[in-house]
Amino acid sequence: MSQFIIGIDLGTTNSAVAYAQEAGVTLFPIPQLANPGEVAEFDLLPSSLYLPGEKEFVEGSLALPWNAQPSYIVGRFARLRGVENAGRLVNSAKSWLSNQAADPTQPLLPLNAPEGVAKVSALEAARQYLLHIRSAWDQAHPDAKLAQQTVLITVPASFDAAARDLTQRAAKLAGYPEVTIIEEPQAAFYAWLERNPNWRELVKPGDLILVVDIGGGTTDFTLISVTDKSGELQLERIAVGDHLLLGGDNMDLAVARFAEQQFADKGTKLDALQFHSLWQQCRTAKETLLADGAPASHPITILGRGSGLVGGTIKGKIARDEVRQLILEGFFPPVPADAAPQRNRRAALAEVGLNYAADAAVTKHLAQFLRNAGNAKPTHLLLNGGVLQASAIEHRLFEVLNSWQPTPVIELKNESKQSDLMHAVAHGAAYYGIARSGKGVRIRGGVPRTYYVGIESSLPAVPGLPAPMKALTVVPFGLEEGSKVELPQRKFALVIGEPAEFRFFSSISRRNDAAGVLLDEISDSLEELAPIEVFLPPHTDGTREEIVPVTLETYVTETGMLELWCVAADGRRWKLEFNVREKAAHS
Amino acid sequence: MSRISAAFSSFFSILFSGVLPETVATEFGYTKARPVAAPPPEPPKVKLTDGALQILQTLQRDARLIDFLMEDIAAYSDDQVGAAVRSVHADSKASLARHVMLAPVIDGVEGTNQKLDGSKAPDPNRIKLIGNVPASGKAPGGTLRHRGWQATSINLPPIGKQDVTILAPAEIEIES
Repeated sequence: MSQFIIGIDLGTTNSAVAYAQEAGVTLFPIPQLANPGEVAEFDLLPSSLYLPGEKEFVEGSLALPWNAQPSYIVGRFARLRGVENAGRLVNSAKSWLSNQAADPTQPLLPLNAPEGVAKVSALEAARQYLLHIRSAWDQAHPDAKLAQQTVLITVPASFDAAARDLTQRAAKLAGYPEVTIIEEPQAAFYAWLERNPNWRELVKPGDLILVVDIGGGTTDFTLISVTDKSGELQLERIAVGDHLLLGGDNMDLAVARFAEQQFADKGTKLDALQFHSLWQQCRTAKETLLADGAPASHPITILGRGSGLVGGTIKGKIARDEVRQLILEGFFPPVPADAAPQRNRRAALAEVGLNYAADAAVTKHLAQFLRNAGNAKPTHLLLNGGVLQASAIEHRLFEVLNSWQPTPVIELKNESKQSDLMHAVAHGAAYYGIARSGKGVRIRGGVPRTYYVGIESSLPAVPGLPAPMKALTVVPFGLEEGSKVELPQRKFALVIGEPAEFRFFSSISRRNDAAGVLLDEISDSLEELAPIEVFLPPHTDGTREEIVPVTLETYVTETGMLELWCVAADGRRWKLEFNVREKAAHS
Repeated sequence: MSRISAAFSSFFSILFSGVLPETVATEFGYTKARPVAAPPPEPPKVKLTDGALQILQTLQRDARLIDFLMEDIAAYSDDQVGAAVRSVHADSKASLARHVMLAPVIDGVEGTNQKLDGSKAPDPNRIKLIGNVPASGKAPGGTLRHRGWQATSINLPPIGKQDVTILAPAEIEIES
């Protein structure tokens, strides 16, 4: 049995690790390169990967306690050096894992690397972060290596089955044991449960808890309902939002771009390093100016480049009202309950890149999320993420939410210290590990989407038009961990020795399609994912069988992974695999 | 181990040989950003002055202190100097805090009376008597004018193959 339960928050911009023992949940500080030749421990591991050139650093200065000559730099120094040389820096690898437009297993990153840099895939980047964490853990716990522990990794609730699968693959490639996947907003809620042992007095049956998790790069919504089952309070996750590439980094950047323009108006042009310094200061300025009792402005100082430090210093300031205007009106505008975010208008020839949210208004996305969840009226609100410690943002969210419903929402406090909001997810993941072993309350949830496979209609083909597709429900919404769905009524013929491919769809808004239900058309509410494929190897024993009739079975494993299987009448079975390569080609 | 000998053995051991004496390391439990010893590829040859250069290098890298000290600031307005100083000051302080743990020699309130052991002259390393100092060099006390500073621990990474005489490399930007 494992000694520790390890929760890993593999974030878009920062990662954190917490572990649980009998005594409770503790944060694991992660040793990393702080500067060449200097390894130090920090609570956060920036999710940055730097691909060093051959002679870029003094020999031996990248050494880590567990690796004298690492091929990559992970963490703090990677981010630092990446500012000076962006062509070798991989950032936001996590967002690429769920990207529909590019293959996460192909070496594409950094996107703008100069010729001659050996690029890496998003999967490899994720593996490197996980490998760094594993090595650091093993170094600190030589008698309790990570591979022998129970490990949980958090993903955005909005990650689809393929992105979750890739996360598990990255972990496996990094030498992890079978990991359990847990959704970030749920982990944040578990952290709240852990800190409020009296939670049963704080919520009651019929309550609906909205979790808003704004990370560095993503925003995630989740609804958890409180029900009563024979006198025991139960928690059930009933809805999750769409994948939104919009987070605190966007907000800092908005303030920095604004400040940069102010400098430009005065005739000062900033270079990349100065802009980075500005960006950092704007983050601090934003936090200061959005707090209660904020001063009217925050000074900004950009030191001169070169050795003329004082002479080249540029001074400026950012006014409180400007930041409030930018952040509150830009990202959290008051909108009516029926507001809808602007849709992505994609150019026919879109550049390969991340599918950033087209509309920066978090409140519009929230309105749409609540509408899709059946016009939900949450009774409680739990906020998570570094951004949300700014009290002005917090107030605004409450204001907007309360304008949509007759009864005001009650805040669930996950302690307001910044460090807590940054680490709550890793914390909660470790707590969930305890809950899974039966020592705490567990949120029931299951699969947060409905999944379908495409079936070609047997209608006569019309020249010039593809055969109409129907969609067969293979995974109903909310299918729980450890359960199975069989679909005996529909048979497929698989040809031995040839790969068979199924088109695969999901829907976040259709919640009532039971397993086996056939939809007559692929409507807008269905999103096409990577196709899934299966290959039946040719026989080696000389049997002549060519076509095998199979039925489909779906499972949700105990670790939260979705699996689809083809099952023959005689019990032989083949697993369907996600084909991420095809996903890129299709879109 | 006495505070004095701990302080001195740490300070000089690190300054001159780049490592914290083990006895001191075990005595003081660190809390912040504890450097983890990287495996040195081969035992580096450390000169006596390397630790001092390393401190300068670090303060330049983290806070651009050398740039600041070496610049002729006579021509600039107090306003301009002030803006730069705030930044250099904050960064130097943060850098220093990461590498050297500082504490006052006497943790008292400056300007108030401070008792001393009148039976012997104080350790001149730690306490400097000023004003009407008796011929014996012994005094039962006096007014605390400066609390003094001592380094209680130093966390400097081991020096590898880098050239410590280069306090900051020249920077050349490749423009496209």
